[in-house]
Amino acid sequence: MMSIPFFFVVAALAAAWSGYRQASVVLCAAGLLTLLVLFRLHATDTLGLAL
Amino acid sequence: MTPALSLRLNALGLFAINAVLLFAFADQFLLNDLPCPLCILQRAAFVVAGFGLALNLRFGPRPSHYAVMIIGAFAGATIAGRQILIHIVPGTGSYGGALLGLHFYSWAFVIFMLIVLGTAVMLWFDGQFAGGEDAAKRLTGLSLAAFVLFTLLALGNGVSTVLECAGGLCPDNPTDYLLLR
Repeated sequence: MMSIPFFFVVAALAAAWSGYRQASVVLCAAGLLTLLVLFRLHATDTLGLAL
Repeated sequence: MTPALSLRLNALGLFAINAVLLFAFADQFLLNDLPCPLCILQRAAFVVAGFGLALNLRFGPRPSHYAVMIIGAFAGATIAGRQILIHIVPGTGSYGGALLGLHFYSWAFVIFMLIVLGTAVMLWFDGQFAGGEDAAKRLTGLSLAAFVLFTLLALGNGVSTVLECAGGLCPDNPTDYLLLR
């Protein structure tokens, strides 16, 4: 599951290599979105800080 | 700045990100220092930031490609920043090795900030955008090498993460590869 952002970007690179710019940007955006969701799933503890 | 110079600088930038990913792999495989979940997400953010450079190499420099870099680096800095804050209080431990007195997640934060700064400096020069589609009709030489190595490293990180974490979320303190037990 945590490998998904990497594979999205690899797919985006393959699309870019083939000349499909728009598709590659969409695939990269999907990878970034997955990355943020995974970060949200991991960042569950409250930090012990007084900011 | 001419489009050709911009492409050369973008290729060098992609090599720099490749060097970061290679260093992380060396630490993982030579010192058996398995990446934690936040470490893996920081690597993914480096890959997203590097993808902006790869777009510049493939399609020519565009502000939107630099935007991809900034967004990726900002996401990475957020993740690295959280990991720094987790361990910032003395006595709360740390994760992984240190280099020149800074843990890798602290270095990651510094490098993400440098990517944002470097991208802003590159955006300063409008001349690079004059070439349009003609700037990079095909990947050759330095650009090709940087693009191919980057693709292999992104793929390698994906495979490595599958081996370490299988199909689910990675354990907080990984000790071995789940799929190689």
